[in-house]
Amino acid sequence: MKNLIASAATALTALAGGAMADDNYPERPIMLMVSYGAGGATDFQARIVTMTAGNEDALGMPIAIINKPGAGGRVGWNWFAGQAESDGYTLGAYNIPHFIAQSIEGGVSYSADSFEPIANWGADPAVFVVAADSEFNSMNDVVDYAAANPGKLTFSGAGLFVGHHIAALQLEKAAGVKLAYIPNNQGGAGAMKAVIAGEVLGGVNNLSDAFRAREAGNVKILGVFDLERNDFLPDVPTLMEQGFDIDNSSVNFRGVMVPKGTPQPIIDKLAEVVPTMFANGRVASKMKAGGSPMHIMTRDEVIEMWMAREAALKELLAGL
Amino acid sequence: MDFLAYFGDVFTPINFGLLLIGTVGGLLLGATPGLSPTMAVALLIPFTFKLEPAQGLILLGAAYTSTVAGGAVSAILLKIPGAPANIATTLDGHTMAKKGQGARALQLSFLASAVGGVFGVFLLIFLTPVLAQWALAFGPSHLFWLAILGVTVIGTLDSSSVVKGLLSGCIGLWLATVGFDDIMGAQRFIFHDAVSGGINVIPALIGLFAIPQVIGMFANGRRSLDAEILTVEPHPISKAFGEVFSRLRALSIGTITGSIIGLIPGVGGQIAGLVAYDQSKKMSPERDKFGTGHSEGVIAAESANNAMVGPSLVPLLTLSIPGSPTAAVLLGGLLIHGIFPGSDLFDNHPDVAWTFINSMLIGQILMCIFGLYVAGLAARVAQVPNAVMAAVVLGLAVFGSYSVQHSMGDVYVMAALGTGMYFLERFGFSAAPLVLGLILGPIAEANFVQGSMIANATSSIGSYFFTGPLNLALIAIVVASIGYSVWLELRQRRHTAKDEAVAKKEAIS
Amino acid sequence: MTDLPRMQHIVASGLVAAVGVSVTYVSFTQEPAAAFLFPRIISTVFVVLALWTFGKALLGRTRVGNGLDLEAMINIAPGLVVSLIFVFWAAQSLGFYTASTIAFFVLLSLYDPAPHGELKSWIKRILITAGFLVVMYGLFAKLLSVFTPREIFF
Repeated sequence: MKNLIASAATALTALAGGAMADDNYPERPIMLMVSYGAGGATDFQARIVTMTAGNEDALGMPIAIINKPGAGGRVGWNWFAGQAESDGYTLGAYNIPHFIAQSIEGGVSYSADSFEPIANWGADPAVFVVAADSEFNSMNDVVDYAAANPGKLTFSGAGLFVGHHIAALQLEKAAGVKLAYIPNNQGGAGAMKAVIAGEVLGGVNNLSDAFRAREAGNVKILGVFDLERNDFLPDVPTLMEQGFDIDNSSVNFRGVMVPKGTPQPIIDKLAEVVPTMFANGRVASKMKAGGSPMHIMTRDEVIEMWMAREAALKELLAGL
Repeated sequence: MDFLAYFGDVFTPINFGLLLIGTVGGLLLGATPGLSPTMAVALLIPFTFKLEPAQGLILLGAAYTSTVAGGAVSAILLKIPGAPANIATTLDGHTMAKKGQGARALQLSFLASAVGGVFGVFLLIFLTPVLAQWALAFGPSHLFWLAILGVTVIGTLDSSSVVKGLLSGCIGLWLATVGFDDIMGAQRFIFHDAVSGGINVIPALIGLFAIPQVIGMFANGRRSLDAEILTVEPHPISKAFGEVFSRLRALSIGTITGSIIGLIPGVGGQIAGLVAYDQSKKMSPERDKFGTGHSEGVIAAESANNAMVGPSLVPLLTLSIPGSPTAAVLLGGLLIHGIFPGSDLFDNHPDVAWTFINSMLIGQILMCIFGLYVAGLAARVAQVPNAVMAAVVLGLAVFGSYSVQHSMGDVYVMAALGTGMYFLERFGFSAAPLVLGLILGPIAEANFVQGSMIANATSSIGSYFFTGPLNLALIAIVVASIGYSVWLELRQRRHTAKDEAVAKKEAIS
Repeated sequence: MTDLPRMQHIVASGLVAAVGVSVTYVSFTQEPAAAFLFPRIISTVFVVLALWTFGKALLGRTRVGNGLDLEAMINIAPGLVVSLIFVFWAAQSLGFYTASTIAFFVLLSLYDPAPHGELKSWIKRILITAGFLVVMYGLFAKLLSVFTPREIFF
């Protein structure tokens, strides 16, 4: 009898506790893990899109950014898949195609199945940049040079198996030339410096950073690795327009996810609230001011996008 | 002289209030273990959302300058360097504090910081276009040689034995390779989950410096020690002024080394303090006094790490490339207001640009005044009884390392490295070269890999790394630095041999 | 040079040399070779220097470092044990604030020279511990909003 009461009591508390956790979530500040350093594009955008989290119509609790940078994001995502608590108070920022490409390439303990997407906030296409005084004026100039000097066209990017590298691989494949891709250990900023300083002949970089560098008069942007031209750069043609069969596989999608095993009610609540938080007018104006293209997608759309990307990347990387 | 025209903007009530908040807040944040300047500035970013662009930058600029100086407070009083920039300050500063001269050490460090800092900001104001070209001149091969130059400093830094100094440096270089390799993403030496993300420099710093000190206090047992009877010497500020400006050699070496190194993207402030410390030690006639609470050590280290603040922003403000992690965070602070650094900043928003730069100038001075004011008070920390001090430092070390990345693994790494370091120190190894190795390892490796990739594609490794005036100049400095260390070691050995012989003779007779 | 420091030097440098040898072994046997190029260079220098130091220790020619005397070791032991339990177990399992308060109080009681028999000194210890807790909570939880593991309280 005693046992029965005890177990009934336990069951009751468990029930009540469970229900309470959903209703009151979130009860304390939430943390968002960013697998790139403070000040990088992902970190900067994550700080902007989460700035209204504390509002009553959003989550009602602030979101704090925690940076776990290293090895092109592998350090952070490994931690997120293996060590992060799946209690809904630990969110992570994802970068597509980065983490999917890395999981296909191997050597990491995560894959698309380790995470549950919540919502997407931005899409930053890769662009091809050359220094302002470069003799290259179109992608065809670049490819002609590479064809004449196989393996000698050096160009920088943020690392191996990140969006920039995917774009580089696509360019090699579509143009049928051999290039020398130089990954930088300091991300997009380091790769951009290499282009401006003339250490390399060109580079693949984020659209937002390249846009800024062009405004400063330091670089020329020769092509966008996307399906259509971008609003920030209406004068720059896509690679497709210039005759290369390159799709949007390298576009850097950024969004929020939670580790697998997070309670479904919490995922549902986040999936409902987070996209509206991204859609806040103040967020949009700050993102626009910073030159960061927004692209809000709901959980269902993101799940679909992840699957499509994984299939495309598997095909692209299979040839390596 | 554009900057003079916007000087008035700094002194409007709101702006000046923000400057004060930034300075005092920055000093406090900087003095908190585990909070590096980068993190402190990142923490303040949300507050700037609601401010005008210029006001937001005043807050951030003031906070940046004063967190760097604030790191010296915990370095001197607790032997916990707030950031890599303050490592060299612990070597002489903490020794001074233990002797009851904490006030003197703090005053020297604030004055030297202000001198270095103001010089650095003036460089930023007057020489920006020239400096921007200089910052771009450093490619992978040059950065590689620069890192090697840093490695050659290791042997002579704070260790009585060159071999053990180098060995400590090697341990640091090895520890730096633990975790994912930065370029290929291969896993190396991951023998425990706690190091799967590599060894983070800040927790490592806290552990390597603070924990040996805690254990050292345990070693004294339950005796009531000098701490309680230690009188903290009051130190008149005028005397500190006199002392800083009579040590012109250390001051100028620190200021110039800091400005030059601060300018180079990617190497930045992390090693400025250590290199300046080592240079002024080598050039000082009193080099034997370094490490025993010598004022030149504090002055060189602190003038260097604040001198680097101004120049480290040159690549950001002119080329829109953040040259250091802190500059990257400041970039974010500009971007959310729709201001793009580069020519746009100076042409279209001169009020923002110059108010920001001016606020750093005034911030340096405010920081110095405030620091001098509290130095005497803060120095009383040395009077805290040993037992309390050990427990407080341990607590701060644990909380501080956890807060860097919200990671328990970092706390384990901190404690393990610290405990190991205590025992290694008992046998002649030292923490400073180990940390230098930990910092320089990734810089040397990544630039070597990038350089050789570029070299393989274009020319040959030989011509890429060994030709060109800048490469050759750096190689020459590396060779000179090694040669000088060897010469010092040999001379010292001859001396000790002579001393031992004399001692023996005396013993016999 | 007495025997205790000499033995200690041999053990210490032997341990460092052992680390050096295993690091060298690992870096020369792991793949991919390209990623281990730098570790190979470092570990080679590491092992040479470590063996040199070890050799010097064996010959008793170590000139720096005083080693540990027995008294210091006895003094260190309890504090080190408490600290290690705190860091590696209690902080995570009991929560940061609970664990650090207990550790703080125990360390204070172990090393504070004030007599253990007096009520007054115990009150002083409790007050100092409470002050420490308040400062840490205010600084990290309130000001910096760091969410540390909390388990039992806070």
